[in-house]
Amino acid sequence: MPISALMALSYAAFAIFVIVVASKWVKWSSMPMHLRWELYPVPHEAGRNQYGGSYIEEVDYWKKPRETTLAGELKDMFSEMLFIKRVYEYKRPLWWLTYPFHAGIYLILAWFFLLFVHGILSVYISIPVLAKVVYYLIQICGTIGIIAATLGCIGLIIRRFSDKDMLNYTAGVEIFNLFFILIVLLTGIATWITYDPNFQHAMEFMKALVAFNSAYLPKLTTIAEVHVILLCLLWIYIPFTKMSHFIGKYFTFHKVLWDDELNVPGSKVEAKVRELTRLPMPWSAPHVDTGKSWDENALENPKDEWGRWKY
Amino acid sequence: MSREIKPEDAASPVDQLVKLTVRDLEKLPPPYDKPGMEPELTDPKPEWKEKYATDLDGYIAIDLPWKPKNKEEEERLIKSFLNGLNKLLTKEGNWTFLQPLLLSLEYCAKCQTCSNACPIYIMSGKQEVYKPTWRAEILRRIWKKYCTPAGKIFGKFVSGDIELNAKTLMRLAESAYRCTLCRRCTQTCPIGVDNGLISHEIRKLFSQEMGIAPKALHELGTVQHLKVGSSTGLTPDGVKDIIEFIEDDIEDKIGKRIKIPVDEKGADILLIHNAGEFLSWPENPAAFAILFEEAGISWTLSSEQVAYDAVNYGVWYDDLQLARIAAKHAEIANKLEVNKIVVGECGHAHKAITVIADRVLHDDIWIPRESCMPILWEIVKKEKINFDPEKNNFPVTLHDPCNMVRLMGVVEPQRKILRKLAPQFREMEPHGVYNYCCGGGSGFAIMQSMNFPEWRNAVATRMKFKQVLEAFKDCLDPSINKYICAPCSNCKGAIRDMLSYYQASERLSIYYGGLVELMVNAMVDLEEPFVEWEFH
Repeated sequence: MPISALMALSYAAFAIFVIVVASKWVKWSSMPMHLRWELYPVPHEAGRNQYGGSYIEEVDYWKKPRETTLAGELKDMFSEMLFIKRVYEYKRPLWWLTYPFHAGIYLILAWFFLLFVHGILSVYISIPVLAKVVYYLIQICGTIGIIAATLGCIGLIIRRFSDKDMLNYTAGVEIFNLFFILIVLLTGIATWITYDPNFQHAMEFMKALVAFNSAYLPKLTTIAEVHVILLCLLWIYIPFTKMSHFIGKYFTFHKVLWDDELNVPGSKVEAKVRELTRLPMPWSAPHVDTGKSWDENALENPKDEWGRWKY
Repeated sequence: MSREIKPEDAASPVDQLVKLTVRDLEKLPPPYDKPGMEPELTDPKPEWKEKYATDLDGYIAIDLPWKPKNKEEEERLIKSFLNGLNKLLTKEGNWTFLQPLLLSLEYCAKCQTCSNACPIYIMSGKQEVYKPTWRAEILRRIWKKYCTPAGKIFGKFVSGDIELNAKTLMRLAESAYRCTLCRRCTQTCPIGVDNGLISHEIRKLFSQEMGIAPKALHELGTVQHLKVGSSTGLTPDGVKDIIEFIEDDIEDKIGKRIKIPVDEKGADILLIHNAGEFLSWPENPAAFAILFEEAGISWTLSSEQVAYDAVNYGVWYDDLQLARIAAKHAEIANKLEVNKIVVGECGHAHKAITVIADRVLHDDIWIPRESCMPILWEIVKKEKINFDPEKNNFPVTLHDPCNMVRLMGVVEPQRKILRKLAPQFREMEPHGVYNYCCGGGSGFAIMQSMNFPEWRNAVATRMKFKQVLEAFKDCLDPSINKYICAPCSNCKGAIRDMLSYYQASERLSIYYGGLVELMVNAMVDLEEPFVEWEFH
């Protein structure tokens, strides 16, 4: 049987999400190397990360082998990703709202993944025991996820409006984003309560998607259809907005705040520096020789009538 | 009143957005909790308002007469700013910070988790205009509105409310000089957004495109450094004279003449001090000379223009000036055929040449650079000199320069020395990488014109003063001399002015100095104390 319009929208939403996220990833990773701007503690500094020290604490550090710890980096990364550690430490009242919201979203993402696994097990590989485990995990993740995310989202909206410190800095689109998510969650709750209390239809919907066959599609109620459409639109919308900060966060930490890679003669870093300092300077202030390269500007500074450097 | 201020109020036609009084500020601990213990704050002189940007809080960091006089000048200013902003977003114009800047502009969630990390915001009594996000949000809104397709199509809905006029720009530029670039706010951000960097980039835009920067940083700072040899105005002949004077002084103090090596080719180390030490605290280069000579280290100073001054004010406001000075330092070191540059007690110079310039120097202008702290710790650890800690048996606390700790991770060597050589050493809270700035960071310590020092002393250094009072709370009795160890010239400058502003040396016998002075003070071979308990 051919695929239905809702299935087509679901495929499109997922594809657009992946493509836009990937293109953003490419955009950020292809940016030029910047000057070092790390911020301590840098968690991969072996033996020093507890107090925020760096390899620069050693005499002749550039001659010595670097001692780094992946475990330190992973610990910091996961405590931030999974527990939002910094908000917990520095803004606890907000954490009680943002944590259920984010944890709920993680559980909903896990729920999607489990639905996918369940679909594969229904269509392509039959492992009844595993299917049973997945079935129960779907119940747990889906139930806790949607309740936590909805409560967190409502809390964040209330906080956004009641806290002037936040409201005064908030643009219309940021309010819209929160309400958009809330509407998707509320239609999800309505669908769950009125139509699909055991996520049976959700599993069937995913089975149809996995099999590329609309014969498996359940008959959806209007609220379920509205929910699927809104959910697909949200998937399409997220990567275009700053709700995709999960991408940015990788780069802010790994490529800026923890980037302490040393430049030594013959290194890749030196080759990049050489290339970048050949770029022409477009700036217009009096002390800049506009159009000359960074190197020319830095090394061949014009001299005044006394033979002294001019700037 | 100030709590009602929003980012869009940067464009407000009022003369001055905020007026500070001492009563607005966060209270200080005893004995400064009583009225009359600190001076009242003053209004800007009426004549300043005509030429200078007093529109933010009445204080002037940018001491250039850049206030537009008419509509044409205002339009030119706005056009120039937008040109600069566009350059800031290109690889050619800003490869140096493009990725960090765009990440910070794009992903701020406006959660305000960072606000309470800022000592200036907190100690000002939470003035909105000093919040790390206030200036960042103004730039973000302008960027969205004028430089992104979404902002151009959807306007205010996406960018938020912002009007771009002369007031906005004057307040934006001045507010970038109400942040010490300590980046404490960045440590708390769950997304890694860097509002300190945004302050840096605002400063840079104004400098590199419009030539607008505080005179102390540009004209009398980096330009004078390159032209004359030092941002202090000290010439090569001048520095040679001072070195001779220091040799005499060392002889007077320790009864032994030390020949300070200058321009000695092939030495292991080129030691570069902040030239402010030669002029204001010559005991610091003297202490280095004593320690290095006694420890048998092969070292030299340079008397060549630029290389006798470790400072690099470019790091605070202008990438090109940063590159020029860093390149000159490396070039002269290579000419002297030394193995490495070692930076004396100067925090920003540490970071500028060791960390930031790491991706400026290449090929012929590359040379190893390191902090003096690990070498000083090795002298103690390896017992190259005999020390008697009892000679330092007075209360000592350590001020951590942000540039040394949070921004380059040199945390332990200096405190290991103090734990070993100062029996009454006590930490400030918080300390290490979570320290508070002295209030003189990012150039504030040397910006002395008009009413800026008043703001620095009353607001920017206030948290440090609070920390100092708390660190010494068990020994505030003026009969006990207390020592703030500040291994950074700019921090010392800020702390000197802070102690003077609050009359803390007279009232409480709190003094300050570097780390090497304490080390020399503890030397067994010295008959007389090296540390002199006098305020200077």
